[in-house]
Amino acid sequence: MTGQRTAWTRLRSAMRPHASRGTLVPALLCALLGFAVVVQVRSTQDAGLDGLRQTDLVRILDDVTERAARLQAESRDLEDTKAKVSGGSSGSLAALEEARHRSQTLGILAGTLAAEGPGIELTISDPEGKVGADVLLDCLQELRDAGGEAFEIGAVDGDRVRVIASTYISDGEDGGIVVDGVELHSPYRIRVIGDSRTLAGALDIPGGVLDVLSQSKAQGTVTQRPVVAITSLRPTPTPQYARPAPQKTE
Amino acid sequence: MIAAIGLVLGIVAGIFLEPTVPTWLQPYLPIAVVAALDAVFGGLRALLDGIFDDRVFVVSFVANVLVAALIVYLGDQLGVGSQLSTGVVVVLGIRIFSNAAAIRRQLFRA
Repeated sequence: MTGQRTAWTRLRSAMRPHASRGTLVPALLCALLGFAVVVQVRSTQDAGLDGLRQTDLVRILDDVTERAARLQAESRDLEDTKAKVSGGSSGSLAALEEARHRSQTLGILAGTLAAEGPGIELTISDPEGKVGADVLLDCLQELRDAGGEAFEIGAVDGDRVRVIASTYISDGEDGGIVVDGVELHSPYRIRVIGDSRTLAGALDIPGGVLDVLSQSKAQGTVTQRPVVAITSLRPTPTPQYARPAPQKTE
Repeated sequence: MIAAIGLVLGIVAGIFLEPTVPTWLQPYLPIAVVAALDAVFGGLRALLDGIFDDRVFVVSFVANVLVAALIVYLGDQLGVGSQLSTGVVVVLGIRIFSNAAAIRRQLFRA
C-alpha cells in the first residue's frame, strides 16, 4: 500500500509546477517529441511517394509498369472483341434485313403474302359462256408480260384464287372455268398489281384480250386503280423431296 | 508538470505550424519518435520509482533518438533499411510495453 501511495505522491509532486533548469530541458524534449509526433502523423496521413525508400520506389515502379503492360494487353483484347462483335452484329443485321427482304419478295411471288399496290381490275362478264380457259390464260399471260407482279382471279361475288407459277386454268363443266381446282363462274374479276397504264395498254391493243372478248360477245372492263389489294393467299408449300442445296461460299 | 505542458505545447505547435518533413529526415523521423517515446516512458517509470534524474532522462532521450536514427541510416546503407526499421520498432515497442507495465504496477498494484 505504501508503495502505491508513494508512487501517487511522487506523481502529484511531479505535477506541481516548479520551474528549474532540471525540468526545463526534459520539457523541451517532450515538446520536441509532441511536435515530431504530430508532424509524422500528418506526413503519414497525406502519405505520398516522397516518404518512401529507393528500393520501395523501384518496386512500386516495377509493379506499375507490369500492371500497365497487363492492362494494355487486356485493353487490346477487349478492343479486338469489340471490333469483332460490332462487325459481326452489323453483318448479321444486314443479313437479317436481306433475308427479310427476300422472304417478302418470295412471299409475294408464291402467293403466301397479301400484296397491294397500283394496278388494274379487269371485270369480264360473259353471259353466253363463251369465254374459256384459253382466253383467260392468254389474258393472264399478257398481263404477266406487261409487268404484272401479283395476280388474283375470281368471280365478282364468289371465290378468289391467287395466281402463282403453278396455277392451272381449265374449262369447267357448266360454262365456267376451274382455277387450281376452284370452279368460277362469270362475271370474273382479275386483279393485277403492276404499272396500271402498261397493264391496261397490254389488254387494249388491237387483237388483244379485249378484242378477243368482244368477239366472243363478252364484255371486258378495265379499271386502273391507284391501290389494288390482293388478299387471297396460298398456303406455304413444303417440298417433300427437294431440299436446299448447300450453298457454295465464295 | 512542465514536461506535460511542453508535450501539449509541442503538439499544438505541430498542429498549427503544419510543417512538412524535410526529405532527408523522412526515413528517420518515425523511428526517432518511437525511440523518444521509449525514453519518455522510461523517464515516467523512473519518476514513479523515485529515481528520476533529469540528466539521465535527457541523455537517454537524445541517445535513443540518435542510435535509432543511426541504425536506420546503417540499414539503408546496407540495403536492409526497412527490415532493420521493423526490428528497431519491435524492440522499442517491447521496451515501451514493459515500461508501461511497470508504471501500471506502480500506480495500481496490478
